[in-house]
Amino acid sequence: MFLFTACCLFIIGAAKDDGYGTYNPTYLQLLIPNGWPKPERDYFAKNKMTEQGFQLGKKLFYDSRLSKDREVSCASCHQPFGAFATFDHDLSHGVGNSFTTRNAPALMNLAWMNAFHWDGGVNHLEVQPLGPLTAHNEMGQSLDSVIIILKSDTAYKRMFKAAFGDASISSQRMLRAFAQFTGSLVSANSKYDRVMNGQDTFSNFEQNGYRHFKVNCSGCHKEPLFTDNSFRNNGIALNRFKDAGRQQITGLASDSLKFKVPSLRNLQLTYPYMHDGRIFSVPQVIDHYIAKTQTPYAGMDSLLQKPILLTKLQKNELVYFLYTLTDTSFTKSKRFDPDGPVYFKH
Amino acid sequence: MNKLALIRSAAFMSLACFFQLAAQAQSNQLQVLVKFVHTANGKPIVLQDSAYQNAFGEAYQLTRLKYYISNLGLLGKQPAQAAPSVYLINAAQEDSIELKLKAGIYDSLAFTLGVDSIYNCSGAQDGALDPLNGMFWSWNSGYVFFKMEGYSAASTADLQRIEHHVGGYLGAHKASARVAIHLEKPLLIKEHSGPVIEVTLDLDKYWKGKNDLTIASNALIMAPGPLAIKSAENFAGMFSVRVVE
Repeated sequence: MFLFTACCLFIIGAAKDDGYGTYNPTYLQLLIPNGWPKPERDYFAKNKMTEQGFQLGKKLFYDSRLSKDREVSCASCHQPFGAFATFDHDLSHGVGNSFTTRNAPALMNLAWMNAFHWDGGVNHLEVQPLGPLTAHNEMGQSLDSVIIILKSDTAYKRMFKAAFGDASISSQRMLRAFAQFTGSLVSANSKYDRVMNGQDTFSNFEQNGYRHFKVNCSGCHKEPLFTDNSFRNNGIALNRFKDAGRQQITGLASDSLKFKVPSLRNLQLTYPYMHDGRIFSVPQVIDHYIAKTQTPYAGMDSLLQKPILLTKLQKNELVYFLYTLTDTSFTKSKRFDPDGPVYFKH
Repeated sequence: MNKLALIRSAAFMSLACFFQLAAQAQSNQLQVLVKFVHTANGKPIVLQDSAYQNAFGEAYQLTRLKYYISNLGLLGKQPAQAAPSVYLINAAQEDSIELKLKAGIYDSLAFTLGVDSIYNCSGAQDGALDPLNGMFWSWNSGYVFFKMEGYSAASTADLQRIEHHVGGYLGAHKASARVAIHLEKPLLIKEHSGPVIEVTLDLDKYWKGKNDLTIASNALIMAPGPLAIKSAENFAGMFSVRVVE
């Protein structure tokens, strides 16, 4: 009996207000769009998605105070209006007007990815932010400093409590909140999706383009995600940064110049293209593949060893189809937008 | 302290005692302390302060020496019991690990230098594996198992640095090492015996072990790969064990 009373008292005591608000999590689930496969990895098995975790992740994502010069946030290079890629930039910028050596990839449908970065060096959604937070030419901050900044901010303490049950702030909680936001960035409402769901129809041009796509592109840019998440050498030459891509992670010569196959969703907004943004327009990308596949070489991907043949008209049709992958409900989503005004340093 | 707080802390303490007693009654586990010490040239390693020399006559100073120990346990006739935890040992401080064991006779100590692959690919970890400890690669996910940094006139790297960041959990790049060392004589663990086992890492044997690691040609090891494997192959040979009491 004494023990029972003690337990009750202890529980009442623990629930006493600590000044950082309440903990009433609203659980969320990652919705799998119609016709999509289930993600291979469940990033939210241990990290239960909640509205409060999502909101905390969003605040972190748009917070430039986390960077060394307090001017660069995740959103500086992953801009919502550019499908969370850097709009109209070949290379994205970091602190102190530095340049990175790669084009910031669009952030969408990340829950369906097994590896991150152009070279796949990051093996889990949760640990991805460690790269940009600490890289000298991105946010340039030490992880310790990031945690100190968060710990000194009452608003964050309240949000960590709302998301995780108490106001203590750790790198694990921060990274999990980031994953709840970035993993929620699902783009699945383009014209293409509406057509597939029987809610819309392609124009003749788009329909012809879809046929060219299936013949020439879908081997790597597999529907419905428009990527097969593989790493391939698509015939681009070594750049001035000597970026060997996947080889830098695996150390294998056979992985030289292999980069992750990017999704083609929202590609109208994610120009310029390739890992270093070297190609500025969609027609130029198609020209690249036409040119490279006329004279393939051994290191190039096996799916590019036979010539891609498209007339000028067919090329245009293909571009029309690719533009049906633009999802403005995603890029203009109020849910993913910052809650207040945000300064984009570009 | 007000009345309510007093009652609450008393209640908490009695609860805590209750659980502790319950746990002891359940498994009757005894405690062994495993202490880690670090030496070079037969002297204790003092970071930043002392100068050492490896078997190749290369003088060096150390600024950092940290490594992960996991699956630590004593082996004997009893079924093997390994501590499920991962520990980060840092030569900058006195580190010891409390092992809980059943009574019995044990004849060897075993552990893994490194971190099991599952922790390398399962997202953000905490405790010893918190990336705040500076032992997680952000650009090529996975833990640095062994981190040694310092300076040497023999180093050809920038600022004559030595940086050995040894890790890798995948396939041929797997750089963790299983270390199993026989005790000089079997160790009887019984109630109130409370032995301390001292594990010594002798850095002399790191530089010259199964492989020769001269500073002149191995000043920097920064990523998983053949160089890290060459280093990891020297891990098992650098440890020795002695029972202190």
